[in-house]
Amino acid sequence: MAVADLVKTFTFYEILIGMKATITVFIQRIILRNRKAVTLQYPHEKRDLPGTYRGMIALLKYDDGTEKCVGCDLCEAACPSRVITVISAEVEGEPMKRYAKEYYMDMTRCLFCGLCVDACPVDALAMTKEYAWARYNKRDLRLDKPQLLALGDRNFPEREKKLEFQHPNVAYFNIGHKSLPSKAS
Amino acid sequence: MDMLVFAGASVVKIAVVMVTVLLTVAVLTLAERKVLSWMQDRMGPMEVGPYGILQPIADGIKLFFKEDIIPSGANWVLFSLAPIISLIPAFIGFAVVPYGPNIEYDLYGVTIKPFIITDINIGILYILAFTSIGAYGVILGGWASNNKYSLLGGLRAAAQVISYELNVGLAIIGVIILSGSLSMVTIAEKQAGGFWHWNVIGMGHGAWWWIPVTQVIGFVVYVISSVAETNRLPFDLPEADSELVAGWMTEYSGMRFAFFFMAEYANMILVSCIASVLFLGGYHAPYPGTLFPGILGYFEGIAWFTVKVYCFLFLFFWIRATLPRLRYDQLMRFGWKVMLPLALANIVITSIVVYFLR
Repeated sequence: MAVADLVKTFTFYEILIGMKATITVFIQRIILRNRKAVTLQYPHEKRDLPGTYRGMIALLKYDDGTEKCVGCDLCEAACPSRVITVISAEVEGEPMKRYAKEYYMDMTRCLFCGLCVDACPVDALAMTKEYAWARYNKRDLRLDKPQLLALGDRNFPEREKKLEFQHPNVAYFNIGHKSLPSKAS
Repeated sequence: MDMLVFAGASVVKIAVVMVTVLLTVAVLTLAERKVLSWMQDRMGPMEVGPYGILQPIADGIKLFFKEDIIPSGANWVLFSLAPIISLIPAFIGFAVVPYGPNIEYDLYGVTIKPFIITDINIGILYILAFTSIGAYGVILGGWASNNKYSLLGGLRAAAQVISYELNVGLAIIGVIILSGSLSMVTIAEKQAGGFWHWNVIGMGHGAWWWIPVTQVIGFVVYVISSVAETNRLPFDLPEADSELVAGWMTEYSGMRFAFFFMAEYANMILVSCIASVLFLGGYHAPYPGTLFPGILGYFEGIAWFTVKVYCFLFLFFWIRATLPRLRYDQLMRFGWKVMLPLALANIVITSIVVYFLR
């Protein structure tokens, strides 16, 4: 046993085993060409994201172009990082109906937990698969309502149908939740 | 007139060798990254040019135009001098390396050896002497930076280079005994006539030709020590990215850093050239003579030399891709307690065998 160890030491046996491992990969890559690099050349090729990927948050619209958001502030309450600021207002002439007059998301603070999407009673929020949102100015990341709606339009071209029994003057929270048509994604 | 012709021919030879070495350095910076990445399931540089082949040019332009920073507490004389001290000895050794057959060519009445810049009778000592000076660049650079990481890198380099240069010197003594000369050209010429005459196998010519005076121990000791001497993995303790930021190069930027970088790669090439001349027959093919007659035969010799040098360089990359860095005490123990006795034993055995059988 001791002799074998001595021979192994003098012939650099362990090192040769390691060098065999590296040259094997080298030969497979260059000569046999049956092995591929694990690298993804990022800007040129992008990986497939899972269906539940949590990217930028978007505001959605109904198929007739009206906003889903009813200005209930539940997303603001659910947000752990205080990303969302909702300024809610009455629709003029319709005292029962409210909407988000202004809607801000400070994405510099967002941790993409998805609690706002869960909290939304009318499914007005959704998480897109957009992620490459580096900006030179951090103020560009404080998104306002048109930007968030544009995100939704861009990523969810198939809009949800507005329910027929939903009275235009009344905001229903979670009524008919079971009968909502399933989202395209 | 004779002097002018000789000087002109020498300048041309020096220019060709310098350009070749600098081009090889540029190629090596890319080749190293590519080979490493191929061995590690990666791709390496892919952006600049097809498959990233223009990366050395991009790197060169970047380093050239980068800001040249001298730290406020640095000794700026030594700080500026260190890269130059590092670079010049790395290039100066190429003067005595035989790149091709030792032929003589008559040019306007002056005898010129086209493939050898100069043949001084202590060639190998000359190279050893100058590579030792290169270590001063590292040590001075580390000290002059006024940075604790640089200083630690420089100190490590000092200890490491002293330990391993001794082994380099002792490992090649066997070859010098076999050849009976310190001239690189003579050492290469003595190994003519097939791979069994190369010093790494060491079959002779006389009555006892069939007893090989093999220098394989000297060869292994030389290769390991030269890896240590060029501060490459697994002996890159002076640089040691993970412990010392970048060792003695921490405070260097721009062209000064590029000088250190070029010196490292030029040293690698020089060490490979010496190894192939001393142990693997230099420009001699593994078969006796040459396949092609006349001028083509000379270029065959150069081609074999190039192949050998590039095999060594590939070995450097291969070792780097495989082995992690040694601990400092392991490095010292390995150098003094393993390499040094092996090299000494090699000298004793070689001299005894040569004394009685050659």
